[in-house]
Amino acid sequence: MGGSADKPVLFQDGKRIDGRALDELRPLKIVAGVLKEAEGSAYVEWGGNKVICGVYGPRECIPKHDANPYKALMKCRYTMSPFASLEEHGRSGPNRRSTEISKVIKEAFDSVVMTGEFPKTQIDIYVDVLQAEGGTRIAAIAAATVALASAGLPMKDMISSVAVGKVDGHLVVDLGKAEDNFGESDMPIAFKHRSKEIVLMQMDGRLTPEELGANIDAAIEGAEKVYALQAEALRKSYEVTEKQEFRM
Amino acid sequence: MEKMILPGEVVWGREVSASGTYLHEGKTYATVMGMMREEKFIPLQMTYKPKVGDNVVGIVVEERRAGYSTDLNLPYNGMIPTRKVRITLDMGGMVYGKIAWVDEVGNVDIGEVDRLPPGKIITVPPSKVPRIIGKKSSMLNQIREKSGCSIFVGNNGYIWIGTRGNVPLVLKAIRLIIENAHTSGLTDVVAKYLEDNK
Repeated sequence: MGGSADKPVLFQDGKRIDGRALDELRPLKIVAGVLKEAEGSAYVEWGGNKVICGVYGPRECIPKHDANPYKALMKCRYTMSPFASLEEHGRSGPNRRSTEISKVIKEAFDSVVMTGEFPKTQIDIYVDVLQAEGGTRIAAIAAATVALASAGLPMKDMISSVAVGKVDGHLVVDLGKAEDNFGESDMPIAFKHRSKEIVLMQMDGRLTPEELGANIDAAIEGAEKVYALQAEALRKSYEVTEKQEFRM
Repeated sequence: MEKMILPGEVVWGREVSASGTYLHEGKTYATVMGMMREEKFIPLQMTYKPKVGDNVVGIVVEERRAGYSTDLNLPYNGMIPTRKVRITLDMGGMVYGKIAWVDEVGNVDIGEVDRLPPGKIITVPPSKVPRIIGKKSSMLNQIREKSGCSIFVGNNGYIWIGTRGNVPLVLKAIRLIIENAHTSGLTDVVAKYLEDNK
């Protein structure tokens, strides 16, 4: 991740490295319904992150012996493009990191999608990171929520996500790549919007219990801003004409 | 446009049983995106679940001992049991029928099966099918009338269109309906469109 010699100045005149305030998010743009063949889809630009997500299903469960007669099987595949960042991501297909992220995203959505409605089937979430700049897993979750909603899959709640952390002793919201690499702590976190239940929480680095509490409060506020944009994206997809294509 | 409701948002402050909603602690919440129109919750996009009595269009994919396995645009193929439905079908043949039986894991039997002549099957989102049919088939009848095509619409999202008549006009009209399915007064808009593009 880079030695301390490479460490840039993370704070200057009370502003963060990219000129943001402590609780300010990077510019976030969400578009729903971008793919023709997917049941639901979304594209997210979050700072330097570019993430595209497609949702398929419920469809026939393969392999068949994995099918659950009581509920649909959620599957998620997160991948990074070879050109996503300067580091060596996406060199040779699935790796340890992307397998882990696929798993945590899948588990987050397992708790909101009403899989019991579709026994013996599977629901696929495909997330591709086209460009990465820190915080791709939260961008992936933001995109996947919008894609699932636009697919019309029944969900008990929407999920909104944000990263919080500690950089040079300050609690900050939505860490960028430099802050992620050189800060003390990075904590991606995802909430159910209505109940504020946490469906994903991971952490790198260290925080005191008090800082953790303050961070979660800050994350709830940040996630609220993300939710507002997710909702707007979904509303917009119905405003003029739907970009819903069909096969002929 | 009416107020749009997203999954997890409150639809009613009391318990009401409606499609696309769930109940929690005395309130009704949405599970899918929808709109409120005249105190009714109208889902905009919803995954199709087969119900007994639904009309379906299907494609025969396999002949089995018990009957014909039929592609119904569902996760699993439906069955035309030859024990109950005395009919001989060809592989790849298209059929129109009614769902006679659904079990809790989604296995489907089709009854009242009719053979469809060669034609074109298009796939549309099943949640838009009610708009394509219209009130008392008003929308469908006017498309049939103006294009001279034979059309069968399945609730499963398959639409069969016959080879005679103005097929491109039907496709364009259906696309227009799908793109504007959430707006009101659609029958008049489509009527005008059909008249202009005849």
